[in-house]
Parts: sequence; C-alpha cells; structure tokens
Amino acid sequence: MFERASTAMRAVVIDAQEQARRLEHRAIGTEHLLLALVASDTQPGGLLRELGLTTERVTAAIRRLLGTRPPLGEEDAAALRAIGIDLDEVLARIQEHFGPLDLNPPPPPPPRRRFGLRRNRQSPTRPLTGHIPFTPRSKKVLELSLREAVRLDNRTIDAEHILLGLLREGEGLAALVLAESGVDVDDLRRRTEESLRKAA
Amino acid sequence: MDNATEAATAASSSDPQVGLRAVVALHRLADALEALQVDNARAKGWSWQQIAEALGVSKQAVHKKHSGRPTTITTRRD
Repeated sequence: MFERASTAMRAVVIDAQEQARRLEHRAIGTEHLLLALVASDTQPGGLLRELGLTTERVTAAIRRLLGTRPPLGEEDAAALRAIGIDLDEVLARIQEHFGPLDLNPPPPPPPRRRFGLRRNRQSPTRPLTGHIPFTPRSKKVLELSLREAVRLDNRTIDAEHILLGLLREGEGLAALVLAESGVDVDDLRRRTEESLRKAA
Repeated sequence: MDNATEAATAASSSDPQVGLRAVVALHRLADALEALQVDNARAKGWSWQQIAEALGVSKQAVHKKHSGRPTTITTRRD
C-alpha cells in the first residue's frame, strides 16, 4: 500500500515510531499515530491542535491511561526540599543497597485487557533501540486509511486518511484519548474529508 | 544551604502549588519504596503475613498489591 502513500503520510508513520521510542513503548500503537499527526505540519495536524490536542496534552493523557508517569524531576525535588526532604539523598541511600529506584513500579497484572492496552507497552527497564513493531490495531488503522482513500476516490494516501482511519477504527488508545478530550468524531471526520476535497 | 536558598524555600513552602506537588511526589516515592521494600522482604524470606503486619495492612491487601507483579529489585549487593 505504501507505493500510494504521500510524503506527508510516510513522515507521520515514521514519526509514530519516534513517538513510541520517546515514550519508551515497545510497540507502535494507535496513540503514537495520533501523536505523530498532532506533531505534524499537516491539515489534520492543524485540525487536532485546534481542538486543543497538543503533544503535551496527548502525551499526558496516554501516560495517565497507561498508568505510567514521568520520573520525578527538578520541580518535584524542589517541592520536596521545601518540606525538608532531600530527594537526591533518599535516592542515593536506596541506590547504595538496591540499585536505582524505579518510580514506576510494575503494577499487578490487570484482570483483563481493555481498550487495547498492553502491558508490554509500559516502560521497560532498558532503553529501546532498533525496530519497533506496529500493534495489530495500528496496522488495522493503516489498512483503514488505505480503504478511506479508495472510498473517497483519492489517488494517494495522505495524512488525512490516517486520521480517518483512526476515527474509523474507534477502539484503540487514540480513540480513547479523542473521546476523553470531548472530540466530536463525526464533525472531525467531516472536516477532515473537507480538507481533502480542498486539496484535490 | 545558604541564607538566600533558605529564605526562598521558606517562602515557597506556603505556596499550595509547591505543597501539593510535594504531596504527589511523596506519594510516588512512598509507592516506589513500598514495592522495593516488599520485594526485599520477600527475597529475605519474609512471609506475606509478616510483611502485612509490618505495613499495618491485611495480608490480602499486600498480596493483591504486590504478589502478581515482576520484581523491582534490579541489582543486589552481595
């Protein structure tokens, strides 16, 4: 299908891998496609940002939904210092006996899978290098983006079609983030299709 | 800590933003320490009952929270 993909569409797919790596996730999910769209200089990227979906907000929503949080930073250390706790000292003492403290301790296994959340997407202990695979859901989204292009009689698959694919798939983490942000899916689909017609 | 830093710390500790941030950070630190210390106790042969007593919670609670997850202890000083 990629022989029909536009440069912008390819760039979004490539950036989705970067987004997964940035979040230290082991697979490229629908949420990374959404992040890549939000960060992209494309029409659908603009539509999403107009709805208040910035990289920061989407990243925060993903972390919250997956139950992972960024490590304690400078501001946390300063806040703790203000109440008399020296974070560096605490961490140094722990390290002395146990090695580095994991501030996202692994949660107990979930009772069942929901919304396509996978445990293996949570922060691994080692940094990620090399190839990151697509999840079945994000593969499905890419297939759907091709189908959307065919349905709309578009010659090339563009960034718009990825967004249409995400909206069509409707069950992954990206869909959950969109729903939580109060996005009107039908309206967004209409405006995305409109942006394709204008481009044509 | 010099006088200026001390004054800044004293002033900022009445700021809710700083105070609440400290609470969140403390919770996270406590959660991480709990996971680590439970793993350490298990590695040293403590029973769930003993750990529960030390934490002041029920054996069921500590078992549910900590038994199914991978260990947090990354290195051991032997």
